[in-house]
Amino acid sequence: MIHRLHFQIDERSGVPVYRQMMDQVKYYVAGGTLRQGDQLPSIRELASALTVNPTTVVKAYTELERDGVIEMRHGKGAFVSGRAKAITREEQEVALRRSAKQLVVEATQLQVTPPRVITVVREELNAVNPAPSADETPVKFTVVPGR
Amino acid sequence: MAAVIETRSLTKSFGRDVVAVSALDLSIAPGAVYGLIGRNGAGKTTTLRLLMGLLRADSGSARVLGCDFWEASPAIRQRVAYVSQGHLAPDWMALEDLDRYGGHFFDRWDSAHARFLARRWELPWKRPIGKLSGGNQRLAALAMALSARPEVLILDEPAAGLDPIARRALLVCLTEVLSDGDGATILLSTHLLSDLERLASHVGIMDRGRLVAEGAVEDWQRTMRRVQVVFDGTKPPEGISIPGAIRTQVLGPVMTALARVDDDAQLDGLRQIPNARVFVFPLSLEELFVEFFDRPAPAAGWNPGTDSGRSGTGVEVAPHKSVGRGVATAADPCGGDSDVEPVRAGRETSGVSGPPGEG
Repeated sequence: MIHRLHFQIDERSGVPVYRQMMDQVKYYVAGGTLRQGDQLPSIRELASALTVNPTTVVKAYTELERDGVIEMRHGKGAFVSGRAKAITREEQEVALRRSAKQLVVEATQLQVTPPRVITVVREELNAVNPAPSADETPVKFTVVPGR
Repeated sequence: MAAVIETRSLTKSFGRDVVAVSALDLSIAPGAVYGLIGRNGAGKTTTLRLLMGLLRADSGSARVLGCDFWEASPAIRQRVAYVSQGHLAPDWMALEDLDRYGGHFFDRWDSAHARFLARRWELPWKRPIGKLSGGNQRLAALAMALSARPEVLILDEPAAGLDPIARRALLVCLTEVLSDGDGATILLSTHLLSDLERLASHVGIMDRGRLVAEGAVEDWQRTMRRVQVVFDGTKPPEGISIPGAIRTQVLGPVMTALARVDDDAQLDGLRQIPNARVFVFPLSLEELFVEFFDRPAPAAGWNPGTDSGRSGTGVEVAPHKSVGRGVATAADPCGGDSDVEPVRAGRETSGVSGPPGEG
């Protein structure tokens, strides 16, 4: 069975490409698509599939490693890390507040009611904690480009 | 790091009235993918041709790998590949002929790679170039340029005339060039800004022969925003401005700015104004470009980026002592020991270019 990751880069989003790649890997890890020990596509493979500059992939992987999401094994590639980086409660608080503030600003601009915002957040929280699958063997992923 | 491509006060006019390139300062670091954008006639093609030594500058300097290509030796020239907008080679030549030809002039010529690219792009190996479609002629030119395994790749509108599939093939190929071995430095002119957004590390905007803006793509994506503030009433209150604004437009009660937003908190002051509504939109390179040309041209030297991609001091090259074109002393890195009357390797494979002053 071939495992494929779907990556999508939006040039018009105003979000740097490496950030978009980081966010997607984090999303896959949070959602359980990527599990500990899984191998990510190589830098060359990902750069070609998405037609992005290889240095952008390097940057995304480096930042992900710094965040403790993945680890680079010399000569072997990038793997999903076993342990998330130990961050302080304070760092957690700052990061969470920043995201929450952004959500609130957007919800307000879109005129979404507060109860609806709470409901959506709860649904998303449930979505990232899926039941573990039977297949727990680490897998190697290739990439499917998406526009 | 020393710049791989550098121009200083580069100036070129055609006739009395047409200043194609005007006091251009460009500095491109090793490994960069530099996208030169600008409207037609902005001077992009002329700049590339000056760098390749196909045109002689009126004043200022243009150097690639530290050398002035107007008089560089074949040894230096073969480290640089150039694909012009024009024709590749004499129409009667086939890729097979060009491959053999390339082997004679480029030390690092990779015939296997030429064949590989021809197969991958489904280019007929034995059919004369003149009988290929326009798109395939461009791909053939690119295949030849890439087979020279150049350190520097200079591409003039490489994707022009390519269908979406061929364009993607080209982009994939460029990412491979960047992934392979030592990597390469790429300078390309283009109108396809979304491609640049993925691939380029730096972008320079040319207007009327000048570099009017330059920056790291990532930096622009992170910070350049359109900020719109809608005030109550018929016009904004006196003395209000948008922090970080590069240019501002007021239409009734709506103030819109192209702004550099390093930190969203810089807009908090605006948000605290009673009844003012603040909207922040990201800008793609294309929107930024349009924004840039949509209004009267800004003063030269406008630069939204702090990280401009300039490589600092640039490269110092010993005074030229060459006697003639392509002949140089041993101490001169730009010369060579070739006694062949300068076969312009870079030029020959790149073919004839479009008319000067175009692009």
